[in-house]
Parts: sequence; C-alpha cells; structure tokens
Amino acid sequence: MAAASVYSGAGFDFTNEIRNNFLTERGIPLPKATSTGTTIVGCLFKDGIILGADTRATEGPIVADKNCEKIHYITDNIRCCGAGTAADTEFTTALISSNMELHALSTGRKPRVVTAMTMLKQMLFRYQGHIGAALVLGGVDVTGPQLFTIHPHGSTDKLPYVTMGSGSLAAMAVFEAKWRPNLERAEALDLVSAAISAGIFNDLGSGSNVDACVITASHTEMLRNFVRPNERVQKERSYTFRRGTTEFKKEEVRALVVEEDVTFISGGRGTEGEAMDTS
Amino acid sequence: MPDGSFAHPQQRQFNPYTDNGGTILAIAGADFTVIAGDTRQSEGYSIQTRYAPKVFRLTDRAVLAVNGFAADGNMFVKKVKQRLEWYRHAHAKDMPLHAIARLIQTMLYAQRFFPYYVYNILGGIEEDGSGAVYSFDPVGSYEREACRAAGAAQSLVQPFLDNQIYFKNQKAAAGQSHPAHLPLSDVLAIVIDSFTSATERHIEVGDGLEIYVVVAKGRSPQGLETMRNVQELSTRPDGDRMFILRRELKKD
Amino acid sequence: MNSFLTRYSSTSPEADIRKAKELFDEDGDVSDVMWGSASGFGNLASGVPMFKLPSVPDPTSFLRMHTDDHADPSCRIKIKHGTTTLAFRFQGGVIVAVDSRATAGSYVASGTVKKVIEINPYLLGTMAGGAADCQYWETYLGIQCRLHELRNRERISVAAASKYLSNLVYSYKGMGLSMGTMICGWDKTVRIPEMNRDCTEAIRANCRLQGPAIFYVDSDGSRLKGDLFSVGSGSTFAYGVLDQGYRWDLTDAEAQELGRRSIYAAGHRDAFSGNTVNLYHVKQDGWQFIGNYDVSKLHYEGPGDVPGAPGTGYGYDLRVAGRTSSDAPQSEGQA
Repeated sequence: MAAASVYSGAGFDFTNEIRNNFLTERGIPLPKATSTGTTIVGCLFKDGIILGADTRATEGPIVADKNCEKIHYITDNIRCCGAGTAADTEFTTALISSNMELHALSTGRKPRVVTAMTMLKQMLFRYQGHIGAALVLGGVDVTGPQLFTIHPHGSTDKLPYVTMGSGSLAAMAVFEAKWRPNLERAEALDLVSAAISAGIFNDLGSGSNVDACVITASHTEMLRNFVRPNERVQKERSYTFRRGTTEFKKEEVRALVVEEDVTFISGGRGTEGEAMDTS
Repeated sequence: MPDGSFAHPQQRQFNPYTDNGGTILAIAGADFTVIAGDTRQSEGYSIQTRYAPKVFRLTDRAVLAVNGFAADGNMFVKKVKQRLEWYRHAHAKDMPLHAIARLIQTMLYAQRFFPYYVYNILGGIEEDGSGAVYSFDPVGSYEREACRAAGAAQSLVQPFLDNQIYFKNQKAAAGQSHPAHLPLSDVLAIVIDSFTSATERHIEVGDGLEIYVVVAKGRSPQGLETMRNVQELSTRPDGDRMFILRRELKKD
Repeated sequence: MNSFLTRYSSTSPEADIRKAKELFDEDGDVSDVMWGSASGFGNLASGVPMFKLPSVPDPTSFLRMHTDDHADPSCRIKIKHGTTTLAFRFQGGVIVAVDSRATAGSYVASGTVKKVIEINPYLLGTMAGGAADCQYWETYLGIQCRLHELRNRERISVAAASKYLSNLVYSYKGMGLSMGTMICGWDKTVRIPEMNRDCTEAIRANCRLQGPAIFYVDSDGSRLKGDLFSVGSGSTFAYGVLDQGYRWDLTDAEAQELGRRSIYAAGHRDAFSGNTVNLYHVKQDGWQFIGNYDVSKLHYEGPGDVPGAPGTGYGYDLRVAGRTSSDAPQSEGQA
C-alpha cells in the first residue's frame, strides 16, 4: 500500500473509489462535476462539414460559464464537439488530439477522421461509460467529409446530420425539417445556427451564443460566437462600494519594498562589471 | 419493471410533486410594497410556458406570490381568493393584510400531512398604511419581513437583498446611518437587477418579469406612472393604488 | 329561523349542496365559521381541526419521503429546522432566551425568526423543531388558554397549559410533527393568611405549585417540569455556559446576562444557530421583552449598556488580545 503513495502509474487513479461509494451510500453525494448541458450539432454540406455548439456550461441549475468553448481541436482538418462532463470531454479530446498528431507523424500521412473516431470509441468503451463524454466528431480527409457521433459507452453513428446533448431533440427537429443534401455554405451555416438556437432557447441546459466551425478540404474556419442572441442587459444601478465599506478590527501597514544600501568596494566602474559567462 | 404481472415484487411510489422553477421576490418600503416574479414555468430542462404568472392580486392592497409546484400554487391561490370573497360577503370589506397572512397560515397548516409544495410571499399595505411583506414555508410558518426572495434563485437573490436592503456587511460612512427604508425608484432598480442577474446565472429563471407595486392611500407613486410598460390596476383613485410593471428577461 | 329544520331536511337546496359535497368530498374542511372572521381558527375552538391526508396506505411515510431532509437531502419540501433555545427558573422569575436563525438544509432561510411565541401576557412558548408546528399549535394553545380563562374565571396554570399541549401533540404521535418547546410562565400566587396555617396537606401541595414554572414539552410526548432546560441543535453549547453560571439566587441583571451569553455561545459554535438573541424575563406581573442582540455584535462589542453587561465583547478581545504569537504582550514575550 505504501508504494501507491510513492509511485503512481499512468491513467486514472481509483484509490478513492471504495471510500466514495461508501460515502454515497451513507447519503453524502459526490460533488457535482461541471457539465455542459449543451446542444451540439454537425451537418454535411456541399464542400464539407459544419459543426455547431452553444456556449453554456452548467453545474446543476447554475450557469458556470456563459461563454465556454465546446468545439475542440483534434487536428487541423478534424474538430470535435463535446457534451456531458466538461472535464471528460476536454481531456479525452486533448488526449486523442495528441495521439492523432503522433499517429500522423509516425505514418507520415494526413490524419483521417475514422482514426480519431476509432481511438475515441475504443477509449470510451474501455471505461464502460464512466467517462461521460458524448461527442460529435467531424472533419474532411482523403476519403472526403466525415461526420460521426460517439456515445459515452463507445457506440458510434455515421450520419449526414447529427445532434447531441440535452438540446439534441430541439436541434434535430430543425435538421429534420430543413436539411437537404448539397447545401451551400451560407445555407448550411444558417441551418446550423438555427439548430443551435433551437437548443439555446428551448433547452434550459443550453444557452448564450452559437459557435460554428466550417471544415472543407482546403481550409478549416472556426467561427467563435458566430451569433450572439443573448447579450447582457445594462444593469439599473451601479454597485460600487464606498472606500471603507468593510469593517475591520485592526490595521497594519507594512512596507513591501526592501531598501538596501549597496556599497561598491572595487574601482569606479561599479555599474558595468564583467559580462556573465553563460556558455 | 411494473408490467402488471405478479411474477416479481413491485414497488410504486406516489409522487405528486414537481418543481416548476422560477423565482419570486418582495420588498416592503415605508408606504409601498413591491412584489415580483418571473414568468417562466419549467420542468427539468424543458420550458412548459414562457408566460405563467406567479404573482396574483388578492385585494386592493394585497398581492400574493407563489412559487414551487405550479399546480399546487394555482390551486392554493384559487382557494385563498375564494376565502377572501366569502369574507367580503360576510363583512362588506376586504380582509386586512395581517389577517390574510394568518388565513394563509391556517390554510397551509390544514395540509400539514399532505403539504402544498408552495413557497408563498404575501405583500401589500397594512391597515396603518405601512408596506409589509409576509413570507411562508410550505406548511405555514410565517414571519413579517422587509424583504424576501424565494424559489429557484433564492440563494442567489437573497444575499444580494441582504446587502442592498438590510445593508449587511456594509459599514455606514462616519457620522451617517443606513436608511431604514429605500425610495421606490431604488427598490424597483434593485428588483429588476435581481432578476436580470438571476436570469444570467440560473437556468430556470427568465422569459418575463412581472412587478406589482402597491402604494398606500394618499402617498405618491414617485414617478412610477410615467415608466414604460406600466399599467394601473387601482379600482378607486382615492384608495391604495396598485400598478403592474412588465419587463422582458433573457429567453435562453 | 328554522335553520334546525333545514339542516336536517333531505329536500332543501342546502341538503342538495350537502349531498354534492359528500359526493365529491370537496372542501371537507369548509364549515360555516369559515365564512366569517374566524378565518379557520373559528372551527378550532370547537375541537381539534381536521387535516387532509394523501390517499396512500401509509400517509406518514409519504410525508417523511417528501419532507425529511435527513433521510433524503434532495427532497423537495424543506421544513425549517435548527435552533438554540433556553429557559431557566431563578429567584427573580424565569429567563427565556433564544436565537433567531432558521435553516432549511444548509441554507439559512431566515435570520429574524421570532422563536418565542407570546401565548398570552403570562405565558411564553419557545420554538425548536418544525417552525410551523410550533407556531400553529402554540397559537392554538393560546386560544384554548383564553377559553379556559373565560370558562373558569381564572388564569390557566403553566402545568395545565403545558399538559394541554402535550396531550395534543401526543395524539399525533408518529405522524411527523416535530416540536421541542418550553412553556414558561408565572402561576397565580395565593397567599395563605396567618390564621389558616393549619390548612390541609392538599392545599399546602397546591401552594408549592405557585410562582415561576417551566415545562418542557416535545412531539414524542415528553413533558418535564424543571428549573433549567435548553433545546435544539445548539443546546449543548448553551448548557456549557448555563451550567457553570447558574445559581438560584442570581440577580435579575446576572440572570439576563447568563441567558444572553449562553445563546451567544451556541450561536458562535453551532452552524444551525445564530444571527440574533431574543431575551425575555417572566415576572409575577407577566413577561417582559428585554431585548434583541446581534450575535456578531455580542462577539466584538458586547450587548451595550444593559444591566449585567461586561462592557466588552464576549469573545473577540478575550481571544485575541495578547494571546497570539504575533501579538504577545511584552512581559510574556520576553520571558
């Protein structure tokens, strides 16, 4: 046992598993992880893939982040939207991004979306759903535009338009009504922002702004805060406090500047000296 | 899985309660009271409606805000209104505010073993012309206060009110003291800011805001009539005056 | 005029309404008094009120499932709990002191609760446990005490009032009421004239029941007579201060100071108690409200200029002045 505190191997640390299960049984629940209640979507269009996401992160009913980024970088030509536990989506996508880079370097080829998809699903399956990441993976590679969804347990779908997260039904309703093959870029962007907006306005877990990402064979364009339909309103009053508002019992002022008298002992060229040897 | 067969033991729970989110708030001034609530009604992550009033006019000088389980809340308001109507028929006058407060206590407590899942805040003008707020728990314990927030964003709004209304954790400037009551314009600004802030940080608050203002007989509404989206609900120009002020809130 | 007739006839419109009401079982709690000003308490005078129950096999476990925050922290209906209350008898009467915090789970639902319920000018009840249970039943007790006065032309004794409450809550035992209360008051004092010194033992025993009295009553059915009680989550802290300072022959000022300090101690150490202290003194001519004191003000500055006050803060100066390593007094620091 003592060894465990000295050496810790790679991967997850399960030391507190039994204790935490015991505490949960005793009615002490685990602290809530920040989750991205979330609407994330992706759809195919004439020249490639467009991914979309809202920007609200929640902790239970509280908005933890009003403008978070849910479209994660995998490679230059592949991006991944994450829903579920914020930490899980961030770390899984970062890990796969890292492995994709290594894979590309070792094969000497441009990375493919299926490769990322396979890595993700194998990792998620290995952890049997305990990594709460629900992903929309999209990109363009030598085989053309590719779009997948990956569920927390490791199952995947390959579809022309996909949605995930708590706002997935609202967003899918928009796709089902309006998506068609070979959309123009502008049309597809409008459709994606309409789908995300449906999530933002009708799902309490989603909110704030629309992020979008357009991936074509030649170029990837991240459109951060593509639409901002929920700007903060001006507050009625200003809430600045008068100096001295907070009561205190004791005041102590200490000088943090240390004064030193420097006396030069050798010669008059005190300030110059010899250059430091940095070789 | 309850499938109707008796092959395996089954357990069912009677759970008649849901939380429909939203927040209510009331602040009493010297000669007025402000009672407000948002208009979103939700269940889980879905919005059931963007306009479901949570604040109700009871008499010319009493307003009741209800929050919690909407079905219980609406039924409770209906029954309170019925009892006040009966009182009017028996006594040819409106029930005074403190009596309505006690009535609400007994009505809530009558359901002690099958409670209404409702948090009530009663606001209005007392018989002496002062503004008053009464807050209740679901089984009827109540207290007269200067301000109170209840509902989903209670824990976000109440600390703000404690600081801005009761001046908690604020030391007054030397030789000065904090005012006991704020003017109407300040109170309205604090109420609106409470709701816009709660909307930003709580997912169950938003869509619309309804603010009822009751001003004691003969007192000035302090420029309230000229504000935008204000409607006067007073039945008599010489009695207590009641206004409703509506504002939009963010809808995400 | 012939209301008696219509009440029992089977053909009148009233009878039809009555039948309809029975059929739908709607508003079973509506009675004639509800039309009037009694507003619900009217029917209490004639007996114990009726309560609606959920139509499930076990209403008690239904209530527990939805309200008990110890069994299930996520349950919806949070009933306010948490308290420190105390009362003690001494030479100068009864001191009653309470805090003013109400908590629902870990949330401080209110810091301005009145936990002393003024039943009548001679009786006080304290509130611990369910706020609504205490408020409602002690108000109800007030009504019954007044009726007792009207019927018997004399004040109800503290013993009788507390027994009334005890019997009442006992009839609801196991159904989920939560109360821990102290009924405090001053019983009618009868002076036995000098020439009647040879009165019976029964009269003598009765005379011992005069003056200040405290009864502890709780929802389990306990009813205890005593000189000193403290009830609530912070009671252990209050007892600590109370027990070390209590004597029968305390002066009024000393007794009031002891009550204040005890609640302060609980407010300081118990997370579910605090905010302010409410202090009452019951004397022969009824109770008297002494004052309301902010716990954190007591800590730093003390209660101000009141009888028995030490003139300094109860805690802060005591703990900080010259007792930290960074601020040690010269004499100690040098040694």
